[in-house]
Amino acid sequence: MSNVILEKVSRNFGEFAAVSSVDLRINEGEFVTLLGPSGCGKTTTLRMVAGLEQNTGGRISIGNVVVSDAARGLFVPAERRALGMVFQSYAIWPHMTVFDNVAYPLRVRRVRRPEMQERVLAALKLVEMESYADRPAPALSGGQQQRVAIARALVFEPALLLLDEPLSNLDARLRAQMGSEFRALQKRLGITSLYVTHDQEEAMTLSDRVVVMQAGRVLQIGTPEEIYQRPRSREVATFFGSPNLIQATVTGCIRIDDGEFELAVRGNGWEGICRAGEAVATGTDVLVMVRPENVRLGGEATKGNGAGTVLSGKVVQASFHGARRSVTVEVNGSLMKAEVPAMAPLGERVTVTIDEGTAWALAS
Amino acid sequence: MPVPATTLPSGPRWLRLTSAGRTAAIVALVVLLAFLSVYPLSMLLYGSLHSTPPGIAGTFNLDGYRDVLTRESLITLLNTVGISLAKTIPSLVLAVLLAWILARTDTPFRGVLEVLVTLPFFVPPILTAMAWGMLGNPQVGLLNQLYQWATGSTSSPINVYSYGGVIWHMMQYAVPFLFLLIVDAFRVMDPSLEEAARMCGASRWRTFRTVTLQLMLPALTSAAILSFIRGIENFESPLFFGTPAGIHVITTDIYDSINQRSPPQYQYATAASFVIMALLFLIVLLQWSLLRGRSFTTVSGKGFSPRVVELGKWRWVTFAFCALFFVVTVVLPVGQLLIGSFFKFFGFYEWDMLTLDHYREVFASDEFWRGFGNTMLLGLVGATLTMVLGGAVAYISVRTKWRGRSLIDAMAWLPWMMPGIVLGVGFLWGFALLPHAIPIYGTIWALLLAYISLGTPLSVRVMSSAYAQLSYDLEECSRVHGAGWLETMWRIMIALAWPSFAVGWVLIFFGIMRELSASVLLYSVGSEVLSVVLLKLWVNGNAEQVSVIGLLMMLMVIVFRWVQLKFINTRISTL
Repeated sequence: MSNVILEKVSRNFGEFAAVSSVDLRINEGEFVTLLGPSGCGKTTTLRMVAGLEQNTGGRISIGNVVVSDAARGLFVPAERRALGMVFQSYAIWPHMTVFDNVAYPLRVRRVRRPEMQERVLAALKLVEMESYADRPAPALSGGQQQRVAIARALVFEPALLLLDEPLSNLDARLRAQMGSEFRALQKRLGITSLYVTHDQEEAMTLSDRVVVMQAGRVLQIGTPEEIYQRPRSREVATFFGSPNLIQATVTGCIRIDDGEFELAVRGNGWEGICRAGEAVATGTDVLVMVRPENVRLGGEATKGNGAGTVLSGKVVQASFHGARRSVTVEVNGSLMKAEVPAMAPLGERVTVTIDEGTAWALAS
Repeated sequence: MPVPATTLPSGPRWLRLTSAGRTAAIVALVVLLAFLSVYPLSMLLYGSLHSTPPGIAGTFNLDGYRDVLTRESLITLLNTVGISLAKTIPSLVLAVLLAWILARTDTPFRGVLEVLVTLPFFVPPILTAMAWGMLGNPQVGLLNQLYQWATGSTSSPINVYSYGGVIWHMMQYAVPFLFLLIVDAFRVMDPSLEEAARMCGASRWRTFRTVTLQLMLPALTSAAILSFIRGIENFESPLFFGTPAGIHVITTDIYDSINQRSPPQYQYATAASFVIMALLFLIVLLQWSLLRGRSFTTVSGKGFSPRVVELGKWRWVTFAFCALFFVVTVVLPVGQLLIGSFFKFFGFYEWDMLTLDHYREVFASDEFWRGFGNTMLLGLVGATLTMVLGGAVAYISVRTKWRGRSLIDAMAWLPWMMPGIVLGVGFLWGFALLPHAIPIYGTIWALLLAYISLGTPLSVRVMSSAYAQLSYDLEECSRVHGAGWLETMWRIMIALAWPSFAVGWVLIFFGIMRELSASVLLYSVGSEVLSVVLLKLWVNGNAEQVSVIGLLMMLMVIVFRWVQLKFINTRISTL
């Protein structure tokens, strides 16, 4: 197992910068996800780590060994980086059996037959495919192909496992199952993993840390909770779900215990409080982000350690989703979305409560 | 898992491709391709400007081109274009009809009919030309004899030595060729596109006209242009049926000016070669401008079977139509060869004339065995080398970003513009001008090189589409998991592309077996191939032995075609 370090890694195609100046440090045994819309440079970044594409700027090290340094013209080709990789299409070779597919990395490394047999079966056992060893590869279902691809990537205990949207070709139920199975396996083996996806939910449920990318740049790196609750920019906030973003002006700022700041803000006909990651001068315009599930309708604000924001509004639309209900409320002439328990009673006029610590200020 | 990754090196060192090795490979390919395509072309240019035959001192002048600009040459040019147009249009109609019948209707025995209808394409044209020469002979042809026997008249309505004969013989090849090119487009078309038209109230015929045919238009246009080009390059049909009737096209004109005139008019022949290449180049330009921006993917690759039209009683009519096509294009000529081989003299079919003498003579003839051996040797070696070369060129141009790949691709494509007879002339000059230390002129190697050159565009095409179908992931996955470039080639790319390799191999082999135009210029005593042996016998009036050898070649065609359909195609469909 080893760590991975990307320093100012860039990739230009002529004038176009597919990836620009990415800095990333992946610790041993960590599961890091590159997340972003298609064309954001996440796959290019992964392929540069794999050695399938050469970075035009910056340096990449795996296990404290520099494998690519644009300044020195150093480039170790893919086959000498000793990595495992799961491709989006799985890339199961159709002319081989399951066993031959998994044995391939050992075969090219001239591992002896008895040992190879043992290790291939061990790898197939990890993904519960040992009984399929003699099947021809085209006879497998999507989920089975995926397991074979994972077994093949793990069979020689690679320094690092790379996964390029491995779940995107599976149906929704299988996707959830394979995802959690893989995460359990990854934790058990403690294997360093770099994962690429465009699915926010997949990124949040699987990863230790998420790297949000857009237009070739890293927007934010953090734990799934940080990225979701404490986004650094409007882009990151709107990438996950559809939060309420409310214009406001800062009227006061105090530092509180956990390193965050509490801001007093005033908007169009309302006043309230929110949190921020750094001190903001009075008079600055900010965007207050409130996630719909943090909006409560009716009842009192929780006034434990400081007051939340309490407003009054009118329900204009509500739709039923089974476990919850999506409600749109008009507050002082602007609309606010809320996700509330479906069974809670709902009148026309409601009190809108935003609990202390859930509202978050973004630069306007 | 006992061994940690760091102690596992990737594949052995010799299996890695160094950048020096890559440069060496590209340079070697460029040199080889230059010799196979640029060299004969530049020799043509040299020859067309030089007053004397290869290897003899002379002066440079423009006499060759001046001779080309005469009234006879203009008629030859018009003949060439006119005959090719006249055969392409009816062939296209027939091919569309056959494709529609076999892909979109419930005509019985469609599988068998498809194999039979495409079979004429694989029969060497020289065979059917000779067979039709016997069938449609105005004096003693079997068809005329039958007509006279049936009607009691003494006139002979059929004469293949005419414009009609030339066009008719070309059509036998153009129809299956066009059919093979367009039938898949009919087969994989999304039926919902047609159903949508029906739901909008269009009748079946209107749907066919406004939707089906319109969607096919890019495929049909490009197929028709290819067929037109083949018509211009055609050599056998005008040689057998045109020349005796005084009908000349460019290819036979080139042949005659070297082989039939004394002294040979090399300068005229090379200048005429440039005329035909210029003509072909214009057509290719036309093709590009016509098809630019036109998508060929109106038909998606999704796996649905198109809706089949139920014809009711009419399906036996369509069946009969396909069967008739097969009878006329294969059964009649082969039957003629069969009859011709067993009677003492061609044209006189009496019971007491039956004999096996012709078989004995053929099997006792050294020339036949030499031709047979040469054809087999050239076929096996030539097809293999052509496919290896085509595979390498296709890989470099499709799968890599190496510098120089478009140069390699262009050079491999160049012979596409050169009909066999033109390439033959170019190599004739090229080999004659080589230093004596490289004795290719007049040997079997001259034929081998010409065949490789002629086959390379096709092999590159076949292998390019094979590689294009393989996702990059399959290759990259192998690299990431430790295999070097050469090892990946061997274990993944070649292993996956070999069915296409085999298909291409058989096509090239057929091509070599039927090749006449370049062979007839480049052979010399000892290096005759079967088609040349046949031509010599035919010219000497030995139609009976021609029939015997023709039948044997026909047998080889059927065996190879059977092997191809039985083993190779089923193997592909499982992948």
